[in-house]
Amino acid sequence: MIKYQATITAIGPYVAEFIDHSILVLFGDQAPEELAEFAILHDGKELKGSLSVGDTVYLGESSYSVLAVGDVANDNLKNLGHVIIRFNGETEPEMPGDVCVQKKPLPEIEPGLEFRIEEG
Amino acid sequence: MTDKKYKRVRVTAGNRGWGGPLIIAPEEGKDLIYSVTGGGIHPLAQHIADLTGGTAFDGFKSKAGFDEIAVAVIDCGGTARVGVYPMKGVLTVEIHAIKPSGPLFRFIKETNFVSGVGIEQVELLED
Repeated sequence: MIKYQATITAIGPYVAEFIDHSILVLFGDQAPEELAEFAILHDGKELKGSLSVGDTVYLGESSYSVLAVGDVANDNLKNLGHVIIRFNGETEPEMPGDVCVQKKPLPEIEPGLEFRIEEG
Repeated sequence: MTDKKYKRVRVTAGNRGWGGPLIIAPEEGKDLIYSVTGGGIHPLAQHIADLTGGTAFDGFKSKAGFDEIAVAVIDCGGTARVGVYPMKGVLTVEIHAIKPSGPLFRFIKETNFVSGVGIEQVELLED
């Protein structure tokens, strides 16, 4: 089951600073300008099932197992298309908005790249 | 003589929160209580607006200049919104009890940020 599906539409000028920390900040494309500067914007609309540990995040062809889901991560994704993905291999979220996934290299993040979350 | 239009509030950190206290003092031309939260204007932002006479504003629906914002209310729980508004020079009230972290950590100070805030942490100041 596909829980969330989106295509990246724009990359803010300060996204690279977060990528250096192995963090991706995604927002739906209605985000205010000041957040868009730091965010990867996408056209995702609907969260079809709660994100949970064991799901898989896809960025284009690259896949990452979900290891931890913070308490407010699902609300953020559902309400704002917003999620913070940390590629750090941790099984405890540092912050309530975090989603932690496997520590693996990131693909080139660019408009047109697909972002998808699948169950299991 | 227009000074009486607005009142001030003191916002303190809640249980396990961080930063503050902040004094929120809306003024003419800078009276927006800027809610950057999921699902419309957050009740905490509305509460601060009601107490101070400021204008509750949904940051996801409309656009405002940073110099018009008396305070930003966020429910970030993480890494992005938590630092953006302090960086822009906007006082920031975070609903979740978090300590600052992430790449924008350097912009977050006790003088521009307070977290773990609920209705009980907002106190009207009588002049």
